[in-house]
Amino acid sequence: MRPPRSLAVLAVLTLLFPAPVPALQTDSTRSAATSQRPLLAVGQTLLINVFVNRFDAWALREDWAANAGSQSWSRNIRLGWEWDENSFSTNLFAHPYHGGLYFNAGRSNGLDYWESATLALLGSWTWEYFGESNRPSLNDFFMTSIGGIALGEVFHRVGATIRDNGATGRRRTWREIAALPFDPMGGVNRLLRGQWTARGPNPPEHDLGAFLLRVHGGARIVADSITDSVATLPVAIVDLRYGDPLRRPYGAPFDVFGARIMVSSAGLNALRTAGRLFGTDLNRPAARHRHAFAVNQRFDFISNPAHQIGGQSVEAGFYSLWQLGRGFGVRTQVFGSGILLGAIDAPGAGFGERNYDFGPGAGLRLELGLERRGVTFLTVHSQAAYVHAVSGASADHYIGFGGVELTVPIVRRLGLGVHATHFSRASQYSDRPDDARDFPELRLLLNWTAASRPAAAQTR
Amino acid sequence: MRSAACGALAALVMLGPGLGGGAAAQRRHRTGLWGELGAGAAHSRVTCSTCTDVVRSSGSGGYIRIGGVLSDRVLLGVESAGFLDEAFGFTADDTSIVAEMETITVVVLWFPWRSGVFLKGGTGVAQGRFTVPSGSAADTSKGTGIGMTLGLGLDWRVSRKFAVTANAAAFITGIGDVILPAGRVDDVIATTYHATIGVTIR
Repeated sequence: MRPPRSLAVLAVLTLLFPAPVPALQTDSTRSAATSQRPLLAVGQTLLINVFVNRFDAWALREDWAANAGSQSWSRNIRLGWEWDENSFSTNLFAHPYHGGLYFNAGRSNGLDYWESATLALLGSWTWEYFGESNRPSLNDFFMTSIGGIALGEVFHRVGATIRDNGATGRRRTWREIAALPFDPMGGVNRLLRGQWTARGPNPPEHDLGAFLLRVHGGARIVADSITDSVATLPVAIVDLRYGDPLRRPYGAPFDVFGARIMVSSAGLNALRTAGRLFGTDLNRPAARHRHAFAVNQRFDFISNPAHQIGGQSVEAGFYSLWQLGRGFGVRTQVFGSGILLGAIDAPGAGFGERNYDFGPGAGLRLELGLERRGVTFLTVHSQAAYVHAVSGASADHYIGFGGVELTVPIVRRLGLGVHATHFSRASQYSDRPDDARDFPELRLLLNWTAASRPAAAQTR
Repeated sequence: MRSAACGALAALVMLGPGLGGGAAAQRRHRTGLWGELGAGAAHSRVTCSTCTDVVRSSGSGGYIRIGGVLSDRVLLGVESAGFLDEAFGFTADDTSIVAEMETITVVVLWFPWRSGVFLKGGTGVAQGRFTVPSGSAADTSKGTGIGMTLGLGLDWRVSRKFAVTANAAAFITGIGDVILPAGRVDDVIATTYHATIGVTIR
């Protein structure tokens, strides 16, 4: 389907539902400026599938899209689910991004996080059965829906932060365009409703609260213990801390999240997010040392020439801030996680052409950071995980990842950074010899930091 | 496909106002802590990575759900659902295996129109258990993995405290390898469809 035609269909749908259902109660996850349009959200979710299928069939001439029809639908319903053999980046990144579109069909029509989550499941389910002629893939369904919820909410909030309903002129247009890659559904819906130019209040998600944005550029030096080789790659990293779990009272899922994206000459190397699903203070907000309990939804995608690991998980644990005086503080994080569905490369194993395993598991994450006035300059982190393969090799995988990240301010917002990390894995196979590997890495970086904290919440 | 999708959208357009029509007159369907118990018919399709065909099986299914209310339209809960077939087999002429599938999932129930219709989705863990009679004893093989569910339902309010709930749902259990006396069955996935009637207490 060519874009203009799909936009016309979207426009017709928009006109079909002129009287939105008013929001029933105040909900901080729901934009105050957006009324609820649940039927339109469901319609757009299904329309995304039609659009993607027709684009793949007509523009990319993909057989699996062109051949989708009543015969494949009948066969898919009859045969049910299987595990697929797609590449790691397709399954662990492209599908979650696709799922984010379904999710944001809900968010951009006034639905909250939980309501939109059901749309991610619905969109993914209908795509798997009806959008392609291949049999429905369980790993796709999982990654598209659960990963789509995590990425969708992060991208929805990033898009809302980039857009500014108070801006005008060219600056306003560029903001709307810049938000499009993150939240295309939000952008299209705003365009159709004339919200690219209309002035008004910003949604609550526009406000990051206390935030930290750090952009790094430099080199990463990676050693591979198997090939006994060392590679040096240029790298760019963006770290975002949206909200502070110890300073922002819990209001809605992902009102606090952290994200890291890393790109090198090998492509997208990492995208990791953790958003707060629930949180509660464990002591008074005015206390010198602060502690909070939180449940986070995590999305992890790590893919580089040395190793690949990723998945969807939920973690529960504690954030603490220990004030040291003169604006210095120590932050700690202790979290245990349930890996809903993880993926890890399994050299020489996997399933069919796929060289990685899928499975659930569990993990533990520890982090200690030294900060001054809300800006972290030293982080020590350690993470352990276990993945039990249910698709691929008959295996149990044990993963360890840890490191130290140091930023030394040099002038104004610029700093020098050094990251030293170590990734190790041990795989126990029931039908082949066990395998152990480790990958040390060093990054030398120049970085730029922007940070803000509400005045009432300054560290003492 | 396009015409079918457009047809579905047209149906939604026609159904939508009707579903939402009585909304104003109705109160929220569940409040506070709620619990639900139901049972009904179930049909399962079991596949594996080395299977040439799908094993179909019919049996009984049941579920229990408890949870709370996030907003007027959204419920969050934990659901445990099960399937039992005492005449299961991985080949067409085999009925000697007792198959049990269980999922425990965190579920979201969304009531878009306040008419009692809801969409349900959730994820969690799953277990499949296959018991093969072996003389006076029995060999049992278990697989543990991921569980997902998607479904829709209708809450029909009977009184202030009770409702009857109709559910149509699918439960997917990806339980990995199952080792039977006849050999290993790789990467087993069971998709179980439930049509159930339940009682909701709130």
